[in-house]
Amino acid sequence: MKVLELKNVHKVYNSSEVKVHAVNGITLDFEEGEFAAIVGPSGSGKTTLLNMIGGLDQLTEGQILVDNTDLSTLKSSELIDFRMKNIGFVFQSYNLIPVLTAAENVEFIMNLQKRPKKERQQRTEELLKAVGLGDRINSKPSKLSGGQQQRVAVARALASKPKFVLADEPTANLDSKSTETLLEIMEELNREEKITFIFSTHDARVVKRARRVVTVEDGKVLSDELVKENAST
Amino acid sequence: MILLTAWKNVWRNKSRSLVVITSITIGIFAGIFAVGLMNGTMEQRVDAALNQEISHIQINQKEFTDNYNIKLLIDNKNQLKQMINNVDGVEATTLRTLITGIANTATKSTGVQIIGVNPENEKQVFNLHSKTIAGTGSYFEKETRYNQAYIGEELAKELNIIRYRIDNKMIDRLRKQEVPEETISKLEPFIGERFPSQKAFSRTIEKALSEKETANYGHIILDAAWSFRERSKLTLTFVDKNNIQTGAMFRISGIFDVSNSMFEKRNVFIRNEVLKNLTGIEPDKTHQAIIKIADRDQSKEITGKLEAMFPDYQTRHWKELSPDLAMMTGMIEKFNIVFLIIILAALSFGIINTMLMVVLERTKELGMLTAIGMNKRRVFSMIMAESVFLSLVGGVVGIIVSKIMLLFTANTGINFASAAQGLEEMGFSSHIYPTISNTFFITVTILVIITGMLSSIYPAIKALRLDPSDALRTE
Repeated sequence: MKVLELKNVHKVYNSSEVKVHAVNGITLDFEEGEFAAIVGPSGSGKTTLLNMIGGLDQLTEGQILVDNTDLSTLKSSELIDFRMKNIGFVFQSYNLIPVLTAAENVEFIMNLQKRPKKERQQRTEELLKAVGLGDRINSKPSKLSGGQQQRVAVARALASKPKFVLADEPTANLDSKSTETLLEIMEELNREEKITFIFSTHDARVVKRARRVVTVEDGKVLSDELVKENAST
Repeated sequence: MILLTAWKNVWRNKSRSLVVITSITIGIFAGIFAVGLMNGTMEQRVDAALNQEISHIQINQKEFTDNYNIKLLIDNKNQLKQMINNVDGVEATTLRTLITGIANTATKSTGVQIIGVNPENEKQVFNLHSKTIAGTGSYFEKETRYNQAYIGEELAKELNIIRYRIDNKMIDRLRKQEVPEETISKLEPFIGERFPSQKAFSRTIEKALSEKETANYGHIILDAAWSFRERSKLTLTFVDKNNIQTGAMFRISGIFDVSNSMFEKRNVFIRNEVLKNLTGIEPDKTHQAIIKIADRDQSKEITGKLEAMFPDYQTRHWKELSPDLAMMTGMIEKFNIVFLIIILAALSFGIINTMLMVVLERTKELGMLTAIGMNKRRVFSMIMAESVFLSLVGGVVGIIVSKIMLLFTANTGINFASAAQGLEEMGFSSHIYPTISNTFFITVTILVIITGMLSSIYPAIKALRLDPSDALRTE
C-alpha cells in the first residue's frame, strides 16, 4: 500500500533577485514498511523535500499525497492536525521539551490526541522499552546522552501511531556507537512493527543500512535504488 | 499536560522568573502598602474627627453656626434628647452650649470657642476625655470649689500655661532615655532656667547643641522639659445673653492632646451649668444636640429621619459638617485607583518583556511543537498560561507579603515623628496604622491575573506567527 506519493513536486524560492529552484519536478512513491534514505550533498534540496513531505513547507507546483490525502488541499490548521495524526518527526537536534521527562515527552503528543490516560502510560512505557530506555523513564533530557535523547525522539515520533516517520539527518549529531544503536532500534521497529521510516542523510552508516536509497541532486532525483529487496517482506 | 508544561516552563529559567516574580511582589507590596497608609491616614483622621470633634449628626437652630448667636436656643432640651434617643440607630446624644470668647492668662490672650458640656453625656458620644495628658489633671473628675476648664495642649502652650524648664529632674529623664552624656553636659549650664514658650526653648537648645544633636534628640529634650504647673488658671471673657461683657476665672482641669492642632488651639470645655449661670441661658435650653449613631454609614438616613422630626431646626451629618473630610475620603479612593493603574502598568510591561524573551528564546522548540502537531490554540494557551502563572505567583506572594506587613504594622502603627508637626497642623495623626479592606485585596488579585493575561496576548501572538520550518532551521 502506498503511504506517500510525490507527483511532479516543485519548490521555487523567490528571493528579491534570484529565483532558486530548490526542488525541480520530483515524482516518488513510498510503500508501507519502507526503510528509505534520501541522500544528496547539502544544497541538493533534500531538506526542502522533507519539509514539504512533512507539511511544514508549501509546494510551488505538483502534489503530495499522504495516505491518499492531498496536503495542498488542507488549511493550515487542518495541516497541523493532519501532521499530529499521520506523521512522526525526528529532528537532527533531538528537540525534546527540556522541562519534561522522557516519559512526558513521549506522552505529550498522545495528550494532544486526547488519548485516555491508561493507554498513554502503557504505550509510553512500551515505546521507551523498545528504544532501550525502560530505566530512564523519569529522566529529563539534560540527564540523557545525545543518543539517548534521539531514541526518546524516535519513541515520541512513534507515539502518535503515524503513517510514517520523517527523520531529518537523525544521526548528524551522534557518535558512531550511538548511531549504530539508534539504527538498530529503528531497523527493528521497521521490521517488527512495519513502521515506515524516511530519512534524509549524508551519513554513510545510515545509507549502508537503508533498503532504498533515493539520491537527490539539484532538486532532481538522480537515482532510486532498492538495496536489499529480500528484507521488505 | 499543557498547563503542566507551562508551569514547568515558568521554572525553566529560575533566576529570570524569580526576578520577575520579585518585581511583581515588590510592586504589589509597595502599592498595597502605600494605599494602606493613605487609607489608614484618612481613616484615623475621620475617626478622630468623629470621636473628638464633630461626631455623626448635629442639630441646632437654623443659622446658629453662622455666627454662634447666643440667642438661637433650642427649647425643652430634655424632651428633644428623649425624642432623638428613641430613633433607631442612635447610640447617644449630648447637649452643648457654645459661645465665642477670649481666653487670657497673665501674659497672653487668644480667641476661643467656649463649649458648655455635661461630662457624663459627653463621654457617651466623644472620647476626648481619654486624651488627657498624664499629669495634667482629668476630664472634670475632681470636684472643686473653682470653675474648671479642659483645654488643648496647643492652647496651653499658646497661653504659656505649659512652659519649658531645664532642671535636675529633666536631666534625669534624659539619662533614662539614653541621651549621650556629651549632649546632656551641654544642657547643664541651663539648669534652673525656665522658658515661657516652646519657641524660646527651641532657640536656646538649637544654639547650645549641634545640628545633628538637635535632629536626633530635639524631640526627647522638648518632651523632657515640658512642664505644667498644677492649679494653673485662665480667664475667659465673653458676652452674655443680654450683650453684657462678662467673664470668670477657671482652673485647668486637664489638658488634652489630640492629633489636630487647630482643634486643640480653638476649644475650651467647661461645665454646662457654669456656662449657663454666667451667660443667663435658661437651664432647660441648649444650643446644640450632638448625636452618635451605631453605624456611620447610616448617617444620611438617620439625618433624614431627624430632619422630618424637627423641621424647624438644622440637622446635618458629618459629611455636611466637614465637607473637606468627605471630599478627602473621595479623593483617597481616586488616588488608590491611580496607584493601582501605575502598578499594573509596570507589571504589564515586565510580563510583556519577559514573555517576548521566552518566545524568542524558544523559537525552535515552539516550531517543533507546531511541527509535531500542537495547534495554534494550544500554543497560544501555553504561552498565556505561563504568563498567568508568572503573574499569579508574583501576585500571590506580593499579596501575602503585604498582608503580613499590614498585620504587623496595623497593631504597632508607623510613626512619622519627624513629620509630626506638619501632619498634626492639618489634623492628621503622625502615628499611622495602615488599613486595607479585604475587597481591595481580592480586587488587586483579580486585576493582577487579568493584567497577566492581557500582557501575554502580544507575546503569544508572536509565538503563533512563527513558521515551523523556519523555526526548525534556527540553530
